[in-house]
Amino acid sequence: MRAATWTGVNEVSVEEVPEPTILNDHDVIVKVRLSTTCGSDLHLLGGYIPFMRAGDVLGHEFMGEVVEVGPGVRQRRVGDRVVVNSFIACGNCWYCRQQLFSLCDNGNPNPGITEGLWGQSPGGCFGYSHAVGGFAGSHAEYIRVPYADVGAFVVPEGVSDTRALFASDAVSTGWMGAELAGTEPGDVVAVWGAGGVGQMAARAAMLLGAERVFVIDRLPERLAQVRQHVGAEAIDYSATDVLAELREQTGGRGPDICIEAVGMEAHSPGTHGVYDQVKQQLRLQTDRPAAVREAVLACRKGGTVFVLGVFAAAVDKFPLGAVMNKGLTVRGAQVHGQRFTPRILEHMARGELVTEHLATHVLPLDEAPRGYQMFKDKTDGCVRAVFTPHG
Amino acid sequence: MDLATIMSRAAGLAGGAGGEALKRLQHVRLPGVGQSSVTDDARTAARRWRAVTVLTEPARLQEALPAPLAAFGDRLEVRVTPAPGDRGAELAARFRGPVTEEDIGQLRAALREAKALVEVGEVLRVDPQPHGHRKPTPQGAAVEGMAAKAPEEGVL
Repeated sequence: MRAATWTGVNEVSVEEVPEPTILNDHDVIVKVRLSTTCGSDLHLLGGYIPFMRAGDVLGHEFMGEVVEVGPGVRQRRVGDRVVVNSFIACGNCWYCRQQLFSLCDNGNPNPGITEGLWGQSPGGCFGYSHAVGGFAGSHAEYIRVPYADVGAFVVPEGVSDTRALFASDAVSTGWMGAELAGTEPGDVVAVWGAGGVGQMAARAAMLLGAERVFVIDRLPERLAQVRQHVGAEAIDYSATDVLAELREQTGGRGPDICIEAVGMEAHSPGTHGVYDQVKQQLRLQTDRPAAVREAVLACRKGGTVFVLGVFAAAVDKFPLGAVMNKGLTVRGAQVHGQRFTPRILEHMARGELVTEHLATHVLPLDEAPRGYQMFKDKTDGCVRAVFTPHG
Repeated sequence: MDLATIMSRAAGLAGGAGGEALKRLQHVRLPGVGQSSVTDDARTAARRWRAVTVLTEPARLQEALPAPLAAFGDRLEVRVTPAPGDRGAELAARFRGPVTEEDIGQLRAALREAKALVEVGEVLRVDPQPHGHRKPTPQGAAVEGMAAKAPEEGVL
């Protein structure tokens, strides 16, 4: 079958690979209809997460049709149209029972790597390096889905493939940030990053009752989507001082909840940006945390900062004093998608959560290298490149 | 010797080095990175209980030791205690006699497999996975070496 693979730093290829097979009783095989790029893939492409092997199949956000089921699968059937969560979770360990699915104890067959880095291992993830399991990704004609009863959800009638696709990761990640940060009616929420995850965090905050929601970015086409499709207020950080703007807009308090949806390659203007770039290139810090710093400084006293962007290890100049003295709560997580997907699909079916606008570039799989290039360079208004492995 | 041969040989060395590097990583303490009991001497480390918490009744483990641990026979001491709250049972094991790093690695893997068998009924497999052409680079071989050793490494 054809698949898009990581073949080196900033190098994506499309090549022939073997088809997946059922390896465990709880597996299904899914014929991939749609599979999208995600901002976190750029960390793999750029070599910031150095646990990829040439030939690894990329992609972790996808939907498709079940074409084969393992003997232990009880709830999925051949022919089901499903959206699959990006993290692989068993559903039976203590973490899964607490609905902390991305922390699954049994989903990552390579726990030694991440335990060495972080002291504990999260669950596995499709197409996201050998540090989280080495599972083949979804930019392929077919994919093996372990623990399918837990992580594959039937898409309701009336929800389009494109809308459902983003329930896999972008919407569930955004929803998690808004909900686990404790968004309540009347809250003011600010979101850093107007990519797919940031936009969906903003939309989730609105559905959870937030009174005002701001999204911060610099790309005009993404800020336009925030206004037009999400219904939130947009702040262009290249044209204004974000901290001053947020203070002015919130009666001097700052947002109740600040959600960071940017990750380890954050851009920032001026000397701060240069500082982070230099330190990262010299390996004096692994990640560039500009958006997290700003979120901490913007947040009102006693508020909550939620880190949705992917970070690998260590950052510099983290304002821990502000966290402590302002009494902030700081949370973060890889996505517990299985917890939020049923509710998200209901909102999608009612037309309250729309995502089709994110798919700015729908391409055949053979054009994956071009799709990733546009997505990385943010050219041609690309918000997400979506691949159609079967045309 | 042509370039391809040189790269292939370098990759072969790197594969072994990757596994070794992962083992070493467990014993390195950098600020903010690494979690191993680096201050333990080898004898103390060998005598520590290695433990997983399994979401099951302790009696289930006391009645029949999961096969991956039972395979060690009398070489292991095993301890099963109730975990606090609703967390199930703490399953701990250590060797009775002198051990090597290899032995401890096998015990780590066995404890993880035992937990998975009890909680899920099977151990999650990842091989074989679809993949494209594996260029024989040292970096790629190092990652492969790490992945191969990862089930036996970590802080457990």
